Amino acid sequence: MNLHDLFIAPFSYDFMARGLGSALLLGLSGGLLGCVLVLRRLALMGDALSHSLLPGIALAWMIFGPSLAALFMGALLAGLLTALGSALLSRLTRVKEDAAFGSLFIVFFAAGVALVSKLPTRMNLTHVLFGNILGTSSTDLGIAAAVSAVTALVFLLGFRGILLQTFDPLFYRACGGRGGWVHIGLLALTVLNLVAALQTMGIVLALGLFLLPAVSAYLWCDHFARMLLLSACIALVSSVAGILLSYHAGLASGASIVLCLGAVFFASALFSPRYGFINRFLRPQSRTLPA
Amino acid sequence: MPIHAPHHILRFRNVTVLHGQTLALEGINLDIPCGSSTALLGPNGAGKSTLLRAILGWHRLASGEIRLGDAHPHHQLPRLAYLPQRQSIDWDFPITVRAVVEQGRYPSLRFFQRLSAHDHQRVDRALDELGLTDLADRQISQLSGGQQQRVFLARALAQGADVFLLDEPFAGLDLLACEELCHLLRNWVMHGRTVVAAVHDLALARESFSRGVLLDTALIATGPIAEVLSPENIDRAFRRGRSARENPLHLTRTTEFPS
Repeated sequence: MNLHDLFIAPFSYDFMARGLGSALLLGLSGGLLGCVLVLRRLALMGDALSHSLLPGIALAWMIFGPSLAALFMGALLAGLLTALGSALLSRLTRVKEDAAFGSLFIVFFAAGVALVSKLPTRMNLTHVLFGNILGTSSTDLGIAAAVSAVTALVFLLGFRGILLQTFDPLFYRACGGRGGWVHIGLLALTVLNLVAALQTMGIVLALGLFLLPAVSAYLWCDHFARMLLLSACIALVSSVAGILLSYHAGLASGASIVLCLGAVFFASALFSPRYGFINRFLRPQSRTLPA
Repeated sequence: MPIHAPHHILRFRNVTVLHGQTLALEGINLDIPCGSSTALLGPNGAGKSTLLRAILGWHRLASGEIRLGDAHPHHQLPRLAYLPQRQSIDWDFPITVRAVVEQGRYPSLRFFQRLSAHDHQRVDRALDELGLTDLADRQISQLSGGQQQRVFLARALAQGADVFLLDEPFAGLDLLACEELCHLLRNWVMHGRTVVAAVHDLALARESFSRGVLLDTALIATGPIAEVLSPENIDRAFRRGRSARENPLHLTRTTEFPS
């Protein structure tokens, strides 16, 4: 088996190339957004959000039938409603943001399950949960490209605002920044990415692309910008590696990508020179670094 | 006769702030002169933080007005530097000392403008003034508490502000770090900067601040620190029939002479 067979030949199939394309596109934006979620301790929010999409999808199905655009909009609306609702709840009442999210997503999920039980045809929920990346249509790919481009553009143009709002929202506000809008904008982007990833990869892989590259990069970097870059790179490389793994070993493609991301994460947790496991054991006094 | 009357930089006229139904600040009339250090004093919940945030325009005033110079402070945000309480920061955030100080330049940059040589110069100067040059490339958790506090003061300095609003800058600092910070703030005031800080430690305020504002929702006293911290005033602000202390002098004495 030569290099061509190993790396190039798999993508001569259209469905493989499309699968890789959507994994790369969503990996890039997921890697960027994940950093903010991890640093703001909203890592589990993606999970909550993804469940809350169900009533939107079910309702869209009931009204418009199995139209891709309708399902997309339905999921988007449900997700935005959850994100906005919990942001409002946490600002206007005593309830903290994580609890607000938790409560809202459960209610939304219940509404979704209730709606699905009323549907004449039974929707295949496992498809939503695990997706099928190799079944990516060219419409899916277009959506992924648009979402990824918007996310990357927001990070490029709004970098300073995102950094300040993530690191020190009070200071940002004192400088006249509109932190609330940055926050809501990032939540909206998260919803957008989840919805785009839903049809191609399913919830679990989408969450993997959000969290694993970001926490891996978090273990290596002391600069916010570098963490963003590294996280995106990890997501891109793992997507390629995962799809090749799935092709050659005959494994489910989404799961292979997450496994590759998981390998990077565990390696980082072990070997990170400053914040890793091994360092902690070898040099217990390493908290005070020499200047 | 003073050679020139002190130029009042911050004026509060009959300022009232409500938190929901409860009164947070009531009818505050106050002048804070330019180039002074003012300690905001009072019991917990007296409205010290509210007063600071009201200057930044974060609270809708139920009545009255606040003026910075001749203008509404909200239009002069570049002149104001706000230092949040230490515990609001995630010290594990992937950011270095220099990058935090650079944030001070962000508000003056246009949408897609990069830091100029002039900006970098100001950052360097702020790092230098606070003795952080050697620590500039460290991640912020690898600093002592006093150094961490100085990083945020350096950011305020790099902003180019001349009015510094500090929310409990001494909280969580050890004795040496407190002294260092006091020294630094006195230095700033000598350079004509205006420092307004919420302070809990009455003895520290008496030693290191020239003026005081004693609050208990309403204004109890304002003026030179020694006059503000008279036993009668402290009694009015802190006891209100709630404190266990019998003798207000005892309260000042224990804080004044820690043995």
